[in-house]
Amino acid sequence: MEDKKRIGWFCSYVPEELIIASGLEPVRLKGQVKELRKVDSYVFSNICPYLKNILDSGLRNRLEHLDGIIFTNSCDGMRKLYDLWTRYVQTPFTFMLEVPKNRDKYGIRYFSDQLQALQKGLEKTYDVDISPKLQSAISLMNNRRVMFGKIFEGQKEFPPRLKGSELFSLCQEEMSSPKDDETLKLEDLAFKPRPSDSSNADNARILVMGNTLDNPTLFDLVENAKGSVIIFDTCKGLKHYSDLVEAGPDKIESLARRYLLKPPCPRMPGFDLRIERLKELIQNYSIGGIIYSNLKYCDYSLFEIPQIEQFLQENQVPLLVLENDYLLTDVERLKIRVEAFLEIVRGDVL
Amino acid sequence: MMKSSFQKIEAFMEPRLAKKPRGFDLFTKELASSMVRAYDEDVKTVYVSGYAFPTELLWAFDVTPFDFEIACNNLPAAASGNGSTLMITSEKRGYSRDICSFDRLIIACMIQGMLPKGDLHITSSYYCHGKAKANEIVANHEGKESILFDVPNEISMSSIEYVTAQLKEIASRLQSITGEELDIDKVREAIRWSNKARNSLQRINELMKSKPFPYNPVKACLLALGGALFWGSPLRDDIHQLIIKELEERIHNGTALPEKYRVLWYPWVPVQQTNIFVTLKEHSVSVPMVEAARVWWSELDESDPFDSLARKALENHHVGRAEKRVKALVNLAEEYDVDGTIHFATPACHGENIAFPLVRDAMKERGLPALNLEGDMTDERNYSSELTVSKLSSFIEILGYS
Ligand code: SF4
Ligand code: SF4
Repeated sequence: MEDKKRIGWFCSYVPEELIIASGLEPVRLKGQVKELRKVDSYVFSNICPYLKNILDSGLRNRLEHLDGIIFTNSCDGMRKLYDLWTRYVQTPFTFMLEVPKNRDKYGIRYFSDQLQALQKGLEKTYDVDISPKLQSAISLMNNRRVMFGKIFEGQKEFPPRLKGSELFSLCQEEMSSPKDDETLKLEDLAFKPRPSDSSNADNARILVMGNTLDNPTLFDLVENAKGSVIIFDTCKGLKHYSDLVEAGPDKIESLARRYLLKPPCPRMPGFDLRIERLKELIQNYSIGGIIYSNLKYCDYSLFEIPQIEQFLQENQVPLLVLENDYLLTDVERLKIRVEAFLEIVRGDVL
Repeated sequence: MMKSSFQKIEAFMEPRLAKKPRGFDLFTKELASSMVRAYDEDVKTVYVSGYAFPTELLWAFDVTPFDFEIACNNLPAAASGNGSTLMITSEKRGYSRDICSFDRLIIACMIQGMLPKGDLHITSSYYCHGKAKANEIVANHEGKESILFDVPNEISMSSIEYVTAQLKEIASRLQSITGEELDIDKVREAIRWSNKARNSLQRINELMKSKPFPYNPVKACLLALGGALFWGSPLRDDIHQLIIKELEERIHNGTALPEKYRVLWYPWVPVQQTNIFVTLKEHSVSVPMVEAARVWWSELDESDPFDSLARKALENHHVGRAEKRVKALVNLAEEYDVDGTIHFATPACHGENIAFPLVRDAMKERGLPALNLEGDMTDERNYSSELTVSKLSSFIEILGYS
């Protein structure tokens, strides 16, 4: 396998297609350290632990495998992380991609311009011509979305085709491994036969939602307590794979449309859209309970949780909000809460 | 309760103003009056974040702008140290204490039914994203649509176009709620007033350089934030003219407090009562400049009003890369010849707080100590007067060495 330069990305609004068409490898950025050592002299304590972990990783040279990083203005913290990064860490290529919050025609036009600027930045830095390869990159990513669509479809069944932990590690791998990696076997999984063991068939069917979740512990906790995570719709979950890039005369505009119009994450305006989608997911996947995994100090989630809580209460769907520190260090506490919650979902406790 | 508290302020200010017109009193009175007017059934009330929106556009229509952030956070409750009593209402609804106290107060006022009905709910994406979410919550609560004025963090032809298009959209929304056609001459008139007030603010900021410092920094900051609502109205310049007169008199008469050290203050001042400024005064430390009072934008061009207002938003010192703002703060420190800087951090102001090390390091390079003073805008539970005094005292000692 050819050793390509790797470009890290944080946010699901970064089109991997542009990186692939540059002949580079897109890699989803994860925190690389188990303990924060340097970051506290740079940022305040009440900052999202994901951002802190990334900065600590950068300050401790744990992200040197990356040649570049694409930042987005996902949140106030991320926006400023870019400023700190370019001052205290530095990477050969950095780019701040502005993702508009308005999803109307003006937002799409502006996002297209931003994507064009990213294209130019990549072309100039890596001396490549993206346009001739863009269509094949779009097809590659679309194909993956189609496969994931089928895999997620299988989760509607009783029992679901994949365990939550399997689904989670599949997505994690898809976002981190080379795009020409043959070992991923998405097709096989997409057409995987129904599991013969149906002992969990009517067990607690859980939807995990929330912001960044890179740690499989939560899935293990649910499974150890005989629950089943059917899908997860965190920022790198189900919605990351939904919607295809439509064919159109202007490929950049098509990319802008797909990324901006995919199901919104909490950074976008529209609590009502998010609730509407949640309603559909609960129905389509026969969900019995929701776990909201919330990285501490993420404002978007903090504003959204009470709206979700109210909706779920009105619809009598149990909710567990699990605030966490990204590394999920307090496993014992989480374990107790997950077990108690699953009992509620199963109706063992009123 | 909110309306009546603003009525009381109005009533208190009127005779004071009649006796001796002072700029800050005029501002306080007019702000209170506009808040009271927002409750009037016959007016069209437009929710807005005055400090983060080119309000000139609103003054071109027959609407009453209502700065919901300033209204909720300058309530006597918040200002007299009881903000948390009210905030608890939102916390009980599930809004975490990790959310900015400014936003928790807005939601609390909404839950308590204290807010006026809005005909349009506008806020913007810059400074922080929290207020956009709070605005959406309030608008949803009233069954109204919320408008997000989305200002990207880079200035280019493309971002100017994007922001301009949004301002035109907002203008058409204003047309539909008022039933008035957009009168471009009225926008131009608002721009003229805004430019006039911009000039007079520059004059004030010049006078603020005078040693010893002749004014009150808290007032300067509150005027910058609360008074932002009046950009585009003749009122803003009226307020400035009165302040200029006062400053000139004071400078002429030598009316000023003793001044041993001068510090630059950024970005916000606490609304709740604290012992910060008393402590500074006791140690003869003056604050000749607060960042919020800076004129950051170029003169507006009335021949191209929408483009000009878009640029004003994009040129804001909190929009764009931190280095732009760091540079501006360093320039202010030099212009005002300060001995150090104080950063007042309200915990949830993430964008602001993450940028602090960049400012700290830039100041350090110039031999200027930079204090990070932790506190909270309105939540007195996050404020310790003992800790603050001790931090301030050590900082003042450092000012003596440097
Ligand atoms: S989890 Fe929230 S605070 Fe953290 S990077 Fe994502 S949006 Fe920002
Ligand atoms: S203090 Fe900061 S976080 Fe709070 S409302 Fe103001 S800008 Fe937003």
